[in-house]
This record gives sequence, C-alpha cells and structure tokens, in this order.
Amino acid sequence: MSGAYGGAMNVGPGFDAPATSGTGDASPGDAPPGDAQSGAADCGAIPDSGPDPDAGSAHRAGEVGGAGEAGAGPWTRAAFGRGVDWGAGRGEQRARSFMILATLLYRASHVVIAVFAVQRPVSDRPVDWLMLGIAVVCSVLVWGHAVRSGRFSAARVWADVVLVGAGLPVVAVVWGGPVELDSFGWVILLGTSSSAAAGVALGGVEIVGAVLLMGASPLVLCALIHVSPSILGSHLISLVSSGVMAWVFWRYLCRQGRLLDAANARALETEARRARDAERLAHHRALHDTVLATLTALAGGGVDANSPEVRERCAHEAAYLRRLVQRGADEGPGPGLGTALERAVRFAEGLGLRVSAQYQALPEVPPEVATAVSDAVTEALNNVRRHAGTSRAYLTAAGSADGLLVTVVDRGTGFDPRRVVPGVGLRSSIAGRLAEAGGAAQVESMPEEGTRVELRWPA
Amino acid sequence: MITVAVVDDDRMLLDGLGSWFGGVSSLRLTASVATVDELLAVMPEPVDVVLLDLVLKDGSRPVDNIGRLRAAGCRVLVISSVPDRSRILSAVSAGAGGYLTKDNDLKTLVAAVEEIAASGTAHSPEMAFACAHDADPARPRLSPKELQVLVDYASGLTLKATARRAGISANTAKDYLDRVKAKYQQARRPAYTKTDLAARVREDGLGGF
Repeated sequence: MSGAYGGAMNVGPGFDAPATSGTGDASPGDAPPGDAQSGAADCGAIPDSGPDPDAGSAHRAGEVGGAGEAGAGPWTRAAFGRGVDWGAGRGEQRARSFMILATLLYRASHVVIAVFAVQRPVSDRPVDWLMLGIAVVCSVLVWGHAVRSGRFSAARVWADVVLVGAGLPVVAVVWGGPVELDSFGWVILLGTSSSAAAGVALGGVEIVGAVLLMGASPLVLCALIHVSPSILGSHLISLVSSGVMAWVFWRYLCRQGRLLDAANARALETEARRARDAERLAHHRALHDTVLATLTALAGGGVDANSPEVRERCAHEAAYLRRLVQRGADEGPGPGLGTALERAVRFAEGLGLRVSAQYQALPEVPPEVATAVSDAVTEALNNVRRHAGTSRAYLTAAGSADGLLVTVVDRGTGFDPRRVVPGVGLRSSIAGRLAEAGGAAQVESMPEEGTRVELRWPA
Repeated sequence: MITVAVVDDDRMLLDGLGSWFGGVSSLRLTASVATVDELLAVMPEPVDVVLLDLVLKDGSRPVDNIGRLRAAGCRVLVISSVPDRSRILSAVSAGAGGYLTKDNDLKTLVAAVEEIAASGTAHSPEMAFACAHDADPARPRLSPKELQVLVDYASGLTLKATARRAGISANTAKDYLDRVKAKYQQARRPAYTKTDLAARVREDGLGGF
C-alpha cells in the first residue's frame, strides 16, 4: 500500500475534472517514486493518514470515508462471510445474560440483608465483618467475571459454593461462638444464591454435589448448637428449590433461545433465496431486453450487421453474457451487489466505455452498501470516460475476510493529485456515499499512468 | 517475423483473426484449424506461437492440448470466451504462456503474441486475477510482495503503475509476475480441480444427451 504509485489524494472538496491548477509548484513528471513531499493533495476536509509503515515511500494514499457503521446495523464483520450467519447462538447468549442478571439480583438482595444484619449494634462481632467481606469478595469474583465475559466460570462458582454456601455457616458457628440462629440467619441465606448460581453454571451431577455440600454444613451446626429442625428443613428446601428453579429456568430459556436462533436463520435464508430469485428474474429480463433483442434484430436481416453501431452493441451484449457466465462459474455473488455492479458496468458501456470486469467471491452486503458501491463505481467509470482519454476501464470486486474491495482502474492520462482540486464527483459521489454506508474510498493517480479508485467496505 | 497458428472451432473467429493478422507485418499466420490433431498433422515445423481456444468441441482436455503443443516445440497463448479461473490456472500450470479473453483488441493480442514469442510469457490482468484469487488450499505459497504486485496488476494497472505502487522498478515487478507463474508451473496442480471436474461432468452430461 505504499503511495509510490504517483500521487494520491485526500478526496476533499471540489474535484470533477482533472483540471490542473497551473500555479506550478512542481512539474508533474519529476516526482521520483517515494518522493517524500510528493503526492497527497491535502484538501483540508480529511486529515492525512500519516506516514506509511510500508518501506520505500514517504507519503501514502489519502483515505476518505470513515469507520462509521452508519446504517450497518447487524451487518458487522461477524455477519460477513458467505451464507447466513448473523451471530448464531445469539438467543442462547441472551438466555445466559438473563440468568446472570437474575442470579446477580438474587445474590445482591442477600448481600443487602447481610449488611443490615451485620451493622446492627447487637451483633458486634469482628467475625461477622470478616464473613461479610468474604461474601462480597466471592460475589464480585463470580458475577463480575460473568457480567464481563457473558458466562459463568464453573471454577469461580464452585469457589463461591464452597466458601460462601458451605464454609460461612461453619465459620459463623465455630468462630462466632455458639449463638442463636437469629444472629446468623443472613449467613445461611447467602447459600441459596450460591445454589442458584450453581444451577446455571454447573452440569447436572455437579449441581447435586454442590447442593448436598451446602446442605451438609447446616447439619454440622445441629451438632454444635440447637437449631430447630423446622428451620433447618426450610433452609434445605430453599437451597434445593433455588438450585432447581435456576436450573429449570436456564434450560427453558436456553431452549427458547436456540429455537429463536433457528427461526431467525431460516427467515434470513428464505429472504436470501427470495432475493436470489428476484435477481435471476432481473437477469432474465435483462437478457430479454438486450441480447435477445439484438439477436432478433440481426436474425430479421433488416440491419447491417457490419455497421459500427451494431458491432458496438454486440460487443456490449457479449461482455454482459461473459460476466454472467463467469459469475455463475465462480460461486456467484450475493444477491444485490452483483446486480448493482452490473448496473454500473452496463451504464458505462451504454456511454461507450469498454469495461473488463472481474468478480470474486462477492459477499452479501446490505442494500444501501450495494447501492453506494454501485453509485461510486458508476461515477468512477464516468470519470474514466470523460477525463482519462481511454475507452477501456477495469473493474475488479473481491470479497475476503476483511470485507469487500472494489477497484476501478484505467490506463489513461491520469493526473497529478497535487495540482488538481478534487471536485463534486469524487468528493460526494464516490467518497461521500461510501462513507455514509460505512466504507472508504481512495483515489490515486499519476500523469500518463492512469488512475486507480479503490473502494472498501467496511472502512 | 513470428509464425502463428490458431486452433479454434469457431469458424467466424478463425476468419476474423485471419483478416486481423493480415494487416500485421510482424506476424505471419500459417495455419487456422479446429483441433490440435489437425494442427500437428499440417504443421511441417513448429510455429512460434499457437493461439489455442481453451475448450474445443472435439472434447480434448485443455491441459492435454497445451502439453502436446509444448511438446511439439510451440509456445501457447490460450484464448477463451470466458475467464474461468480454475481453467486459467490449469492452463498456466500445464505450460501456457498467457491467457486472454477473446474480447481483447488486436493491439493487445499482437502484443501478447510478441511477448510470448520473445520471453515465453505474456501477463494479462485475467491471468493475474486468477492467481491472485486462487482459493485452492494447495495453491503455491506467494510472498506478500508477490501478492501485492499480482493483485495490483490484476486490477488493470499497467506494469509501470503496478511497480510504482509497490515501490519497485517495472523490471522487478515483471520478475515477480514471472516468479508467480513459475511457481504455478512447478506446482503442477492436478489437471482438474474440483470445480473444473464438476464443470467437466456437467459438460459430459450435456454432451451425452
């Protein structure tokens, strides 16, 4: 990407015709490759992109457009590759996030109760503060991680189960001294939210193990202090029910999420198929209006097949068929983009330009992006026709993991970007539209070496 | 004077090329035939460059055709109606010196013939594009610089402009393109890739009906 290919420019205000400014600072031809000060016709609107890390050249091509995802909606890079994949598992992830939130609120309510219990004047024991500290630290470790990463860490949940759910009741009795249950009810309450987290984060057998472990520790308490069996029983029941409910909710939401994902994928696939069908229909219509019409006219014998107009028209139809066949052979483009590019090419051909177009693995893009790219290509081809002094242009469009790269190249007269003020054509039709759709455009040229317009999406 | 033969089953194209080359002083068209068999039978001594249509109606495999002409001492410029990427690559691997679509003008065609006669290779954006976007996992390994030159040349830039973009001389850029082509010829990819095979099966199926 070194800018050694002549000058490059920030497409800013005002270019349409490559009219030189004429107040010569440097003559067009004398810029050696990699000339440090050659090139970027800074038009002020967009800051220069800075030095090029690539060796050998000092200035780089200006870039226009922004990284804005305007109008890109869900069509981010993740949604990019071939086929329909707009984030499979999204529904499942929503279910997971919801369960994280629900258990977090559950635990938060227990911590609030604990804070009120501990700061009561009657229970002025240092060990209470220690236990509250442990509970808060464990909660932060478990849910902090879960909120950040979008999923529970089984190891952290186990730590919470062991320390908070099973450990704290024992600590409360052993180090807090045998006191009545009243003063550490908040401690065994914390276990129920550990149980809920376990229900979401752990596998079936592990959940049973965690609940048994947390149920066993109050049994130890029975041996140390007197706890009424009914209170103990209700604690055990709430432990089990918290775990079971969390598990059931989690399973249910997860299943719903997957169903939703599958339905979404089907809907998108249907939509894509409909678009493909529509495109095929459009092609058939185009064939009817063009190739078929021309052949029919020729077969009728009324026209002079050797007249320049007829030959010109035949050449256009042949070029159209050639691209059609090629696109079929090379895993045709996603609906929309291919048709849009074809429209641009046909338009330029209608005005007498010969366009050699090559497409490769065109990705599916949002309609507004296809339109923006097609409009920009139309404008670039228009510039070739009007200013490049050649009747031939080259269009390439290729999809890759990075997105879409389209180039419009000619081998015509070119221009010196340092001396040309970019006008409405380049600025608004090419750069502006691409930027609006979340892409970027770049123009490079050099006198007598043609012009290269590059369009990228996403920027 | 470069001697040229054309192998194509399209009568109109043969006639057209005949009259085209009639006006070019540096080339002499010695044979216009429909199959490689025919050419080998009528050709007393190897011509310098054979313009070979990629897909011939006699059902011969493009790769075999190229191999036989190379063995007979001719250089080969493949011409085709459609730039089908996997076939371009197969043709290059089999020893074709260049690849052009039939919509190119006389100037481009003559230049390609002259280049092949002189150096054995004529680069074209179509050929570069096929190599640059070769999705075959077994493709030859290309250096980043080779790939950049390839992609830029494939986009339609002249060799000079391609070289300038890469910050190298035009000669070096041509070396890169030559090197890529050499890599493909060494790789000797199997005559038919999967897509080619599928296309072949389709054709055979249609041919059978």
